[in-house]
Amino acid sequence: MRKDKKLILLKELLLTDDRALIGALNLKINTLESIIEQREKLSQKVDPLIDLKLQEYTNDIPKKLGPMITESLKNEILKSKNQVVDALYPIIGKMIKKYIQQEFKILSDKINHQLKKRFSIASFLRLFKSKFMGVDEESLMLQELAKTAIQEIFIIEKKSGLLKANFSKTTTIDKEVISAMLTAIKSFVEEAFITGEEHLEAIEYGLYNIHIQNFESYYIAVVIHGVYDTIYKSKLKSKLLDFSANNISNTTNTNLAEKLAEVFKNGII
Amino acid sequence: MVSSKKVVLLGHFGVGKSSIIRKFVNNEFSSDYKVSIGVHILKKEVQLSNNDSVSIIIWDMEGTDSLTLINKVYLLGTHSFIYVYDVTRPLTFKSLSQDIISLKTRFPTSLIKTVGNKVDLLTDIEKEKHQVLFKINDYLSSAKTGENIEQLFQDIAIELKH
Repeated sequence: MRKDKKLILLKELLLTDDRALIGALNLKINTLESIIEQREKLSQKVDPLIDLKLQEYTNDIPKKLGPMITESLKNEILKSKNQVVDALYPIIGKMIKKYIQQEFKILSDKINHQLKKRFSIASFLRLFKSKFMGVDEESLMLQELAKTAIQEIFIIEKKSGLLKANFSKTTTIDKEVISAMLTAIKSFVEEAFITGEEHLEAIEYGLYNIHIQNFESYYIAVVIHGVYDTIYKSKLKSKLLDFSANNISNTTNTNLAEKLAEVFKNGII
Repeated sequence: MVSSKKVVLLGHFGVGKSSIIRKFVNNEFSSDYKVSIGVHILKKEVQLSNNDSVSIIIWDMEGTDSLTLINKVYLLGTHSFIYVYDVTRPLTFKSLSQDIISLKTRFPTSLIKTVGNKVDLLTDIEKEKHQVLFKINDYLSSAKTGENIEQLFQDIAIELKH
C-alpha cells in the first residue's frame, strides 16, 4: 500500500504540469473548433447578403460614382491642361503617324495597281485628258483615287441669306442658320477684302471645301469632301449652271429640294 | 406651312439686344465670332396656328453708335428691323427718330419696330417723364422679366405673314 501511495504521489509529481498543459490545449482546441463552427454557420447566412450587397454596389457604381468621377476628372484635366496635352501628345502623334502610314500604304497600293494597268483603255483616256487639259497625269490619277464627294448643297437668297433649298447627306445643325451664317461671312469678306464686282468663291476648312457659285439673286454653296482642284471646280460649275438653267427659275422651293436630291443624290458629279 | 423671314436687331452698345433674344431663340451659332464679323445669327420658329408658322432668322448686330457704321450688306433683304434702345440711357435713343427715318427711306417695304428695353429699371415717375417719347414706341420691354418679348416676335410674325 505504501508502495502504491508512493507511486501515485510520484505520478502526480511528474504528470501534474503535463496534465495542466493538455487541459489548456484541449480548451484552446475546443474554443477554436467552436469559432470555426460559428464562422461556418455565420458564413452560410452572411455570405449571400454580402454577395448581394457587392453586386448592388457594383451595379450602382456607374450611376452613383460616375458623375462624380467624370466631374473630378474634368476638373483635374482643366486644372492641368498643359500636362495632359504633354502626356497625350506623343500618343496621339503616334496614332496619327500610324494612320497616315496606313493611308499612304493603301494609296501606294492603288497607284501601283493603276500603273500596272498602264496600257488599259482608262490609262490612255487619262493620258489624252492630261494632254488636252494641260493637267499632269499624276494629278488626274490622284483625283481618280481620292473620290471627291458632295456632302451638302445650299441654294441661298443673296440679299436676305434665306435658304431656298437644301440637299444634305449628313445631319448638321439648322440649315437655315447655316445659310444665314454663310451669307454673313460671304458679305463680310466681300465688303472687307474684295473690291468691285468680285465675289467670295470658296471657303476651305480641314478636309472640306465650300464651293460658292453666284447667280443674280441667289448663290449656291456646295460642301465638298476630297480633292477640290481646277478640273473638279470646272465640272461642278458647269453642273450647277445646268441645274440653275433647268430648275431654279421655274420651280417652287419645295420642288427645288427634290430636284437637288434627284440630281446630286450620289454626291458624285 | 412654314415661311422664313429675316429680322435684324439694331441699337447702341449695351441696350440689351442680345439679352432680348437670348431666352427666346431655338437655334444659334456661338456668339464668339460676333466681335469678328459684327453679327450673331439665331433662329426662332413662331407658331401662328396648327399648320402655320414663321421661321424667324434673327441677325443680331453688334452695338454701334450710328447706323452708318453697320455693314450695309447685312441689312439687305431684311423683312423687319427691331430698333432697340435703353430707356435709362438717353444717348441710346437720341438719334432714334433720325435712324427710323433713314431706315424707312432705305428699306421702304420693311417692317420697323422700336423697342424701349430695361423698363423694369424705371420708376412710375420716370415712366411719366418719358411718356412723350414712349408714345412713338411700339414696345416697352424688359429682357430681365421677359415683358413684351414674346409679344414683339409674335406680332412681327403675324405682320410678316400677311
